[in-house]
Amino acid sequence: MADDNATLGAAVADEPRKVTLSHVNTPPAETWNYLRANDITLTVPAISRKGDVYFALPQLFGRIECGMGDKVTEWVTSQAADATYVEVPRNTVRTEPVVVDVDADAGQVADTGVMIREGAEATVVVVAHGGGSEAATSAALTRIVCEKRTRLHLFEVLALPDAETHLESVGIVADDDATIEVRQYLLGGATQAVGLAADLAGDRARINLQTRYLGRGTDVLDINHVVRQRGENSRAHVDESGVLADAAHKSLRATIDLVHGAKGAKGDEAETVLVTGDDVVNKTMPVILCDEDDVQGNHGATIGSIGGEQLQYLRDRGLSEEEANDLFVRALFDDAVISSPTASARRAVLDRAAAVLGQEVALDLAEGLELECADTEGEA
Amino acid sequence: MSDTRDVKRTQVADVDRSIYDFVKSEEGYERYADGLTPEIVRSISEKKSEPQWMLDLRLEALEVFHERQMAPNWGPSIAGLDMDHISTYVSPKTKQARDWDDVPKDIKDTFERLGIPQAERDSLAGVGAQYDSEIVYHNMREEVAKYGVVYTTIEDALQDPKWEPVVHEYFGKLIPMRDHKFAALHYAVWSGGSFVYVPEGVTVEYPLQSYFRLNAQGAGQFEHTLIIVEPGADLHFIEGCSAPKYYEANLHAGAVELYVKDHARLRYSTIENWSKNMYNLNTKRAKVGADSKMEWVSGSFGSHVSYLYPTTILQGDRSSCEFTGITFAGATQDLDTGCKVVLNGRDTTASVETKSISKDGGVNTFRSSVVVGKHADNARATVSCQSLMLDNISRSDTIPAMDVRNPTASVGHEATIGRISDDTILYLMSRGCSEAEARTMVVNGFANPVSKELPLEYAVEMNNLIKLEMEGAIG
Repeated sequence: MADDNATLGAAVADEPRKVTLSHVNTPPAETWNYLRANDITLTVPAISRKGDVYFALPQLFGRIECGMGDKVTEWVTSQAADATYVEVPRNTVRTEPVVVDVDADAGQVADTGVMIREGAEATVVVVAHGGGSEAATSAALTRIVCEKRTRLHLFEVLALPDAETHLESVGIVADDDATIEVRQYLLGGATQAVGLAADLAGDRARINLQTRYLGRGTDVLDINHVVRQRGENSRAHVDESGVLADAAHKSLRATIDLVHGAKGAKGDEAETVLVTGDDVVNKTMPVILCDEDDVQGNHGATIGSIGGEQLQYLRDRGLSEEEANDLFVRALFDDAVISSPTASARRAVLDRAAAVLGQEVALDLAEGLELECADTEGEA
Repeated sequence: MSDTRDVKRTQVADVDRSIYDFVKSEEGYERYADGLTPEIVRSISEKKSEPQWMLDLRLEALEVFHERQMAPNWGPSIAGLDMDHISTYVSPKTKQARDWDDVPKDIKDTFERLGIPQAERDSLAGVGAQYDSEIVYHNMREEVAKYGVVYTTIEDALQDPKWEPVVHEYFGKLIPMRDHKFAALHYAVWSGGSFVYVPEGVTVEYPLQSYFRLNAQGAGQFEHTLIIVEPGADLHFIEGCSAPKYYEANLHAGAVELYVKDHARLRYSTIENWSKNMYNLNTKRAKVGADSKMEWVSGSFGSHVSYLYPTTILQGDRSSCEFTGITFAGATQDLDTGCKVVLNGRDTTASVETKSISKDGGVNTFRSSVVVGKHADNARATVSCQSLMLDNISRSDTIPAMDVRNPTASVGHEATIGRISDDTILYLMSRGCSEAEARTMVVNGFANPVSKELPLEYAVEMNNLIKLEMEGAIG
């Protein structure tokens, strides 16, 4: 499919081994095109796998809406080698996390499907990491089916070097009484394109989505979150926050879709952004779509810098503005390290902290939190 | 409860719009052929004896209109709008009058039923009344005119050697013809509207009002409003519009260009009550100078489809903008409304507060954009949007966008969507209200932040509109 330019976009002239994916990360409802906030266009490698036969996910995964959209799904499935399928049996708690480890330096592309059977609980960890200085493009497509009364803990960390691009697309379907906890840490990379779509199809299904991001240098950060609330009394809580420095460019599209019939559903979404760079471009689109009256939808966004009074308070305690801003960045890494459920995730965060804040701070983070980085997790 | 009450709760009756929904004969009117051709555009220009530059502008705009495509990803469909079945110019055979007694009887009767002459006598500094494509009445109080305030039609201003260069300087500059497809259409066939000039330091104590009535079936109205408020001046301008209902599409594609110079203030209030066969694709834009203030008060009740997003460009340092709006979407209505604010000056502030109410299958979309430019140090903007759903067959979407490019800016946005709580209704009913009264009371309270911004007469009109709409809404 990746070679099908009609589907994926025109091939880039002089670079036949790349394709352009246009209208990626598009939200369900769009704003004025001239604001250039509706989508992102990505140029990605196209490896021909014609003639090869690989393991593919069961077809039901093909019906799951993913945050970055169908073009990215098609591209990933055409680029990844074997897809990985994991099933968590009914009424079990899987203690070992399902780990999707993406070596961004090598341009790895992962296609993963997880089926959590009724009453089961699982943790899924997606880690994209690297340390190289060459431009590379990696991707992870993760599709998860949560049957009734399941619990899913999804942890994603993107800790990429400054030259690399990563596409992170997630699709989740949740049946009755399923509970989904998502934590995303987007800690850097030339381009981080992240999409997550959650379909709360079941009654009382709920999602708690927390995203923390850092943009610096000339990083491009493009996020598309879509929560469809179809089930009665479903709950969505979406909380995004981050720090933007230097000339970072961030676009966040967050949509809560209260679908007809979702009686008693409640959805709320909030974003807080700290802007510290003079050349930052910060775009936010918090959308609520409502096709049902017996629902509640709220969203809020706050964009700003550290206030004058707050800065004075910090100055009185010997902190410069730069140091104060660094504190917020460090807090972000602190949170990421503490929340990391696996050693590889922690290692990726600490490596990135070393690159952003310096080795000393990274060591301080690790020692202060008395972390062990031994390999303890299982692989998918 | 009686059967009558049960019927009222489960049926959605047509709203009594008899105040607005009456038709006068077009007999004897001049009506151009449907569709859009260079000949029609030339005819309109020739009829108005326009300078060459205006004809050139019209013809260029016509080309742009044909070139431009509608964005495929935009909101409500306008597939039902067929320009080949819209007459772009319909005019009653009458000259513009300065006395209501000189206005033809049926037209005068129309405006009297709408309460315009009475409002003029009671509380306005001047009135313009447009009927289909032409202004039929224009007048301003002597005491206002003596301060140098000009309130006339664009057509008359173009014939005046003093004002023609001013129109030339400002017309079409704030809303360029290439802004979008219907801006181009507007410039090709514009007719009627107002030219207002408020000299430096003059405060106009009473509002000026323009009322636009589209009586003709299958026609378009393309009035252009150009207001220049010079430094230190102050004006309140009110715009009203209505039309009878037909089963054939009508089109309104007006343009409003507002220039608010330094240390000035302009309040622009609109009560829009077009009939529900109207495509209301209107464009409004204001540019605000240093230490000045732009205030929008907007009530949107009518139209089949609306694209309406008044834009404010806060160009001057310390300039500010307040937008207060309400949109009421009932059966067959798909109203895509909101506002745009561009903060370019330093220490600029913008405050947006909107309400929307959806009922009987009506669709409301609130759309906004707040853009903070790179040099807008200490810019502050807040957007608050509240939506009320009155039943489960209606829809309400909120699509705000923010683009912030200055690190010292502070931008906040909040939105809520919900319905009237059963507890509130029960409480009011326990105090003797019927369910209908209770709901109307809550909706009126919900709309209060908007109505309190209007002059009393218009607040009463808005509350009446809500009451009319609510009569069919309880279910």
